[in-house]
Amino acid sequence: MARPFSIKRQPGFATIAMLCFFLLYLPIATLVVYAFNAGVSIAVWEGFSFRWFESAWNNAQVIEASWRSLKIAASAAVIATTCATLAALATTRTAPYRGLTFKYSIINMPLLVPEIVTAVALLILFSRIKVWTGYSGLGYLILAHSAFCVPFAYLPIRARLESMDLSLERAAADLYASPFQTFRHVTLPLLWPGILAGLMLAFVISLDDVVITEFVKSGGQDTLPTYMLGQLRRVVTPEMNAISTVFLVLSLAIVTLFFFLSRNPQKQKT
Amino acid sequence: MKNGERMTISRATAAHGGTIGLHGIKKRFGSFQAVDDVTLDIRSNEFFTLLGPSGCGKTTLLRMIAGFELPTEGRVLLDGADISGLLPNQRPVNTVFQNYALFPHLSVAENIGFGLKMLGRPKSEVGAVVADMLKLVHLEGRGDHPVTQLSGGQQQRVALARALAPRPKVLLLDEPLSALDLKLRKSMQIELKRLQAETGITFVFVTHDQEEALTMSDRIAVMSEGQVRQVGTAREIYDRPADRFVADFIGETNFLTGTVERTEGRRATLRLATGATITAGLPDTATPSGAVTLVIRPEHADLVTAGAGTMDGTLGDIVYFGTDTHYHVHLDDGTDFIVRRQNSRAGSEGDAPETGHRIGVRFSDNAAQILKD
Repeated sequence: MARPFSIKRQPGFATIAMLCFFLLYLPIATLVVYAFNAGVSIAVWEGFSFRWFESAWNNAQVIEASWRSLKIAASAAVIATTCATLAALATTRTAPYRGLTFKYSIINMPLLVPEIVTAVALLILFSRIKVWTGYSGLGYLILAHSAFCVPFAYLPIRARLESMDLSLERAAADLYASPFQTFRHVTLPLLWPGILAGLMLAFVISLDDVVITEFVKSGGQDTLPTYMLGQLRRVVTPEMNAISTVFLVLSLAIVTLFFFLSRNPQKQKT
Repeated sequence: MKNGERMTISRATAAHGGTIGLHGIKKRFGSFQAVDDVTLDIRSNEFFTLLGPSGCGKTTLLRMIAGFELPTEGRVLLDGADISGLLPNQRPVNTVFQNYALFPHLSVAENIGFGLKMLGRPKSEVGAVVADMLKLVHLEGRGDHPVTQLSGGQQQRVALARALAPRPKVLLLDEPLSALDLKLRKSMQIELKRLQAETGITFVFVTHDQEEALTMSDRIAVMSEGQVRQVGTAREIYDRPADRFVADFIGETNFLTGTVERTEGRRATLRLATGATITAGLPDTATPSGAVTLVIRPEHADLVTAGAGTMDGTLGDIVYFGTDTHYHVHLDDGTDFIVRRQNSRAGSEGDAPETGHRIGVRFSDNAAQILKD
């Protein structure tokens, strides 16, 4: 009997799939396991212990860098998502016109421009501004992160807007809602899962950025990833594994949270 | 009493049936002329239908009354006042959308109350009207349900209630029954007629279904290629179609050709291609002469023995439809002609016509109608 074509039954499919999963997850699994190593080596198992988590928790630099990372990520995610929402509304709630595709590309450009180029460019620009204004706070990092997070927030919001039934907004207008009321009572509630997705994505992307942060930060402004990078240059202990593990759990928690929030916009209300 | 409350609402709204005037409306999308110079007057409290095949411009016309599209040229009047430039939310006109467009994040009651809430009416009034509307469309006790859990027919009724709740002057219905199955559609047709009579609101109904149009409408405008071909009651449109398009689009029709010999009032005497002389009605807006096309509905003709009728021919296919039977006759001049006969249990089997036999076709003088073109 002829069966429909299935990629799953092609020779080598299972092998390649397993290999990919191993390459992806085995190193991460190893990292997590050695976070609980009692010894000082990241390669020789000497028994189970929480000592590296304690050591990281008691490391003032780690805690400081973590707080800085969270502050930057939270601010950048909110700023980027706000901009992305406005951009998505402007580029979807309009009749198509010449140059609209160009606008899409401009908004999504940070996804394509090599990060190192953006980093160098920002370094040059910000260093000038630092000299002119004398300000050298976290603002530069927040601005830089907001900028490259915009496309990540923009994509899910735009996808949500495009799949939204336009007749709903027409129905609201028909039922005496002003353009703002239509946005407030119909568009925004329906867009909410998309906005949350954008927010989470932007947050996670900002949280683990290294390249741009490394170039833009002023002295003493290490975020968690740049702090870890700095440590790796010296001596590597399972403390790095412990920090990475916490980082991983945090990211997974955010993604899971988002998954449950966005699953059903109606259940969320009650 | 509950009944008394409903009566009050009906009376309060009865005076609100607005009139719509469409004056020289044109709408172009790029190079496509969607609506081409339409002038129509829709009366107060009327069930008015825009009927035509898809792409004829009927929905575009409706959307221009609602305010979703602006006419390229022409004016839209509501109760005599020009509303052409107003936004949809500024027009006291509500729409029932083809896909219902219910707000999925709101409950049944919140959907129905949406319009009044946007108008800034007090909560108590919104609640009272919503309760009334739920009763009107037989959805009592469903107010708290999410609209996504309703059946198609129930969603349809929520959409109706939502559009009626703000008591618009005119209710626009964009093929609202097309998504329902046949049985539900039939009962909703009756339901819509009842709602229109009960509320007194002017209904403008868009459909491509001629039967729906004929059974529900006070008046019908038949549209094709952006133009109105004929406006009239169901009977006028059916019995006296103005042109070939209308005759062909509505119901089944026989087309015959003939030559006008003389006219007298609104009737003409003409000689058919088959040689017979008959009289036929003239179209309302033109007095054609010379060679003309005329139409005869299949049920307005009958079969007789050959030589005894107006024309003779050979009987072809006989198609049984349950309530009636269609007889396809090949007339001697080469045209095909369909005769429809009502079936009855008492039908005498003896004189049943048979395929291949010679047969006559007879129709009365006022069965035939001359077309404009």
